[in-house]
Order: sequence, then structure tokens, then C-alpha cells
Amino acid sequence: MSLKLERMTIMIVDDDDVVRKIIMEHLQSFGFKNFLEARDGTEAFRFVVDQIQRIDLIISDWEMPRTDGLTFLRAVRAHKHRTDTPFIMVTSQQTNERMKISSAKQHQVDAYIVKPFRGETLREKVFQVLFAAEKKNNDKGIAS
Amino acid sequence: MSLAARKLQNSPDIPATPDVQPVENRRILVVDDEVSIGQGIKSLLSPDKDNVIPFRKSSRSSEASAAPVARISYELVVVTSPSQALVEIEKSVKENKPFAMGFFDVLLGADIDGIELVKRAQALDPNLYAVFVTAYHDRSVDSINEYLGADKSDRWDYINKPFTDGEIIQKARQVTSLWNLQRMKEWHEEKLYEAQKRLLQNERVNTVAAVGRSVAHEFGNLLMQIVGHAELAVMKNEPQRMKEALDTILKASDTATNVLSRFKKLAQGGDHRMKKNLVNLYFPVDEAFDLMGYQLKKFQVQIVKEKWDQVLIEANHHALVQVFMNVLINAVHAMPDGGQVHVSLTKPTPETARISFRDTGSGIPEEILPKVTEALFTTKGSKGSGLGLAICKEIIEIEHGGEFTIQNHTAGGVEVVLTLPTRQEPQEEPGEDHHEP
Repeated sequence: MSLKLERMTIMIVDDDDVVRKIIMEHLQSFGFKNFLEARDGTEAFRFVVDQIQRIDLIISDWEMPRTDGLTFLRAVRAHKHRTDTPFIMVTSQQTNERMKISSAKQHQVDAYIVKPFRGETLREKVFQVLFAAEKKNNDKGIAS
Repeated sequence: MSLAARKLQNSPDIPATPDVQPVENRRILVVDDEVSIGQGIKSLLSPDKDNVIPFRKSSRSSEASAAPVARISYELVVVTSPSQALVEIEKSVKENKPFAMGFFDVLLGADIDGIELVKRAQALDPNLYAVFVTAYHDRSVDSINEYLGADKSDRWDYINKPFTDGEIIQKARQVTSLWNLQRMKEWHEEKLYEAQKRLLQNERVNTVAAVGRSVAHEFGNLLMQIVGHAELAVMKNEPQRMKEALDTILKASDTATNVLSRFKKLAQGGDHRMKKNLVNLYFPVDEAFDLMGYQLKKFQVQIVKEKWDQVLIEANHHALVQVFMNVLINAVHAMPDGGQVHVSLTKPTPETARISFRDTGSGIPEEILPKVTEALFTTKGSKGSGLGLAICKEIIEIEHGGEFTIQNHTAGGVEVVLTLPTRQEPQEEPGEDHHEP
């Protein structure tokens, strides 16, 4: 099982420009080359509804202006072409974190990362969800 | 300040008013120089004594004179002179066994009459209700009212001699129940006051918690910048990249330090709310913008500084920050799709500072406008405690002697205007509550 990282497109959604760039640089260091950037869920959703737009993974912040991460996640899951798109939720540590994460799980978030995180954590989560998604696709392929 | 309020100040966590409702008071004082009349009233109102002596039956009604039926029994104290009466009243107050009411004969055959006695009695016990028993009609009710004082106008009544049993019984029922209803009302009011006070304290905690959440988010991002830049710089190992990373890290660290120190001050604010220093209004206003920075950004609300004068006033910095934040929170909620808050800071007279916040939302419906600063009023359903603006009003008007007004602006949106008394002072270094802008 191998992932063709240079052909994949990763969407990064965060209202903080600096944080978005940091995530992108980490991903570049892992070998990814194609990125989509959005400042909030509304901006990001424009890419989601574009059916010819390839999106292999979405990494989205939770707390954002206008459309927050959870609303965006629901919208993604409601879209027929994106029901299985791997989604990693990024959030800042808060007291009600557990509750929020569990409510995200109900909406099929694939992984979550708590800010601040190290590059290694991001790497683990990204490859974990991408391999899981690929395995799921392969299983589907065998079954059909 | 009410008794409950004083108690609360001393021990804010302990309920001051007993949870049990006050016990019904049936104590009645009778003052008549004719012993037989006093004893007659007593036997009538204390049916446990079987020496019931009926008074003259009313010629105006067909009142039954049958044997006494089951009636409320009152606790009667009968005296024959004003001096005895005053001793009993003083004792009742001291022993916390007040009389609900008294029947006072007017012509007492003493140096003072019944009306003067009631005036002195009510000075000892302002809650005491008086019923004059009189055959003496040379004073009008208006002149008695004037003599006893307008504040006591609902505390007395009269009954004409000769009276009937029924008139005495019914007066006793009415007046004692009035006294008891009054105590019940005060008890409920004190309970309500305490509950409101507790809610006000909770609201403070809620404000701190709400800011805490946005501080946590801000910290997440700042630490992300610090960790991310450090890690990426180490990974790339280029001198220029290192320098850039360190610059960004230092900047993010400074921001984090500021956020933290402001948050700490807000959280500690409650400990010295009343302490006032010379404050340059710029600082609390600016601090509120900083603390609300995330919310303002999230809801795309822009701050427009219209007039920005240097105004020094004597005030409590943290309390003002809390007020400005509450005003901004309301403005942000009024503009879910973004907008502007126009702020101006002026000194219309040497004695007054004026701060106005005007949003570009849809305004407040005129019919609810007068209610918005009332405690427990909210349009936010379960999300609002309805105390934000009530607290603001309290801080501005009660703690600072200023004025808090909220109205719809002619240009649209809501305008909150705070007027605060200022101390005329030449340009001076701000007090210890300040920090660098």
C-alpha cells in the first residue's frame, strides 16, 4: 500500500494565516505538494462543492469566523461526493474539549489534533487517516 | 440599604434571610383607660377565655349574637395608660415579638392623647398598625394624617364608639393580616434580592469564563505559531530562517504575555472592585477591545474610533473593563453578520467624561428598550442570563455615580452612552492599574 503524496491535494482551513502556513510547511516537509487554503468554512465549502476539485484530506480549525469547523464538517459530510473525505479537526485546548470532540466524532471526524501540536503529531495523524481511507477504498474495490 | 443587603455584604456566601417563611403574628395591644373596654376587646379576640362579654349589637345590621364560633385566637396585651403602652411596645421590639396592631382609645385621660401616643409608638416600631377607637370627632382624618406623617398614612385606621363585636373582630382580622402580608412581602423581596445578588456574582464568573474560552483559543494559536516556527526553523537549519522564526516567536510570546496579564487582571477584578484610581479612559476601553479581539474578529465586527480624547477620571479600571466588554458583547450579538462599533471618548464638560458605543445592527424594538437594563431581562433565551446590562448600569450608576443610557440611534443601531464624573486633574501619569497600551 503506497500513497502518491505528490499527487494528493490537502485542504487547510484556519483563520490564522500564520498557523495555516505552519501546517502547510509541515505537510511540504512530509512530501505533499498541492494545497487548498481557506480562512473559514464558507470559503472552504466553495472547493468542496466543486466536483472536479480533488480533495484527499481536509485539515480544519474548529474555532473560525462565520462558519466554524463543526458546521463545515457537517456540510462536507452532507455532500454526496465528500462523505468519505478524510477530515482532521484542529482545536485549541479548552475545558469543554472532550464534549466538543465527542460531538465531532458523531459527525465522522477522522482524527483531531489539539493546538499547539508538533510536526510529528501532525505526521502521525495525517498518515493514519490517509492509510485508513486508502484501505477503505481498496476494500470497496475488492468487494465490487 | 436593606437589612438583607447589609447581611450579604458581610457574608456573601451565606443566605441572610431564613428559608422558612415568617410565622403569622397575632399580637394585639389594647390601650384604653376604661378597664372594662380593654377587657371586653380581649375576651372577644381571645375566645379561649370563656368570659365573652358581648358589646352592643349593631343597629345597622342583623348581626348574630350567638355563642362564639371557632375563630382565630389573638394574643392580647391590655394596658390603661400611654406610658404602659410605650413600655410594652419597647419591650416587644427588644424581644423581637412585635405587635401587629393596636387598638388605641383617643381620649386617654392622660397628658397625651391616643394620636400622640401612636406617633410615639410608631417611632419605636414603624411597622405597627394603629386603629383609633373614638367617640371624639373634632379632628379630621386629614389633620391626623398630617400629624402622623404621610409615610404612615396606610398604618392607621379608626373605629367609632360605640362599636360592635363584629367591627372589632373584622378590624383585627384585616389589620393583622395586613401586617402579616407586609412581612411576607418583605421576606419575599429579601429572598429575591439575595437571589439576584448571587446571580450577579455568577454573571461575573460567567464573563471571566467566556473570556477564558477565547483566551484559550488565542493561546492555542500563539503557541502553535511559537512551536511551529521553532520546529520548522530547526528542521531547515538556515540562518535567515532561524532569525525570522525567532522574531515571530518573540512577537507571539509578547502577545501571549499581554493576553495573560490582562486576563489575570480581569479575573482578579472582583477583589477590589470598589477601589478607584485615576484612570485614563483610553486604557480600559482599549483593554476591552483586546479581550474581545477574538470575538470581534470572529463576527467580523470592526471598531471605528470616532473621537478619541484623553480623559482622566477617578474610577475602577477593572469594573470599567467589564462594562465595556459587556457592551461590546451585546453589540457583537446584535450584528451576527458583522458590522461596526463606533466608539467615541470625549469630555463634554470639565466634570464629565462621555463614552459612547454605537453599533450598526438593527436596533432594539422600542417596546423592550426600557427593560434591557433590568436584571433578568434577556432576549437571548437560555444563552443569556439577562444580567449583563443590569450589571453595567449598576457599575456605572451606583459604583461610579455616572449615568448609563441605551437607546436606538437616529442613524440606526443601538447607542450606549456612559457618562461618568471626572476629577479635574492636569495631565498626570496614570494610576497603578494601567499597563502599556
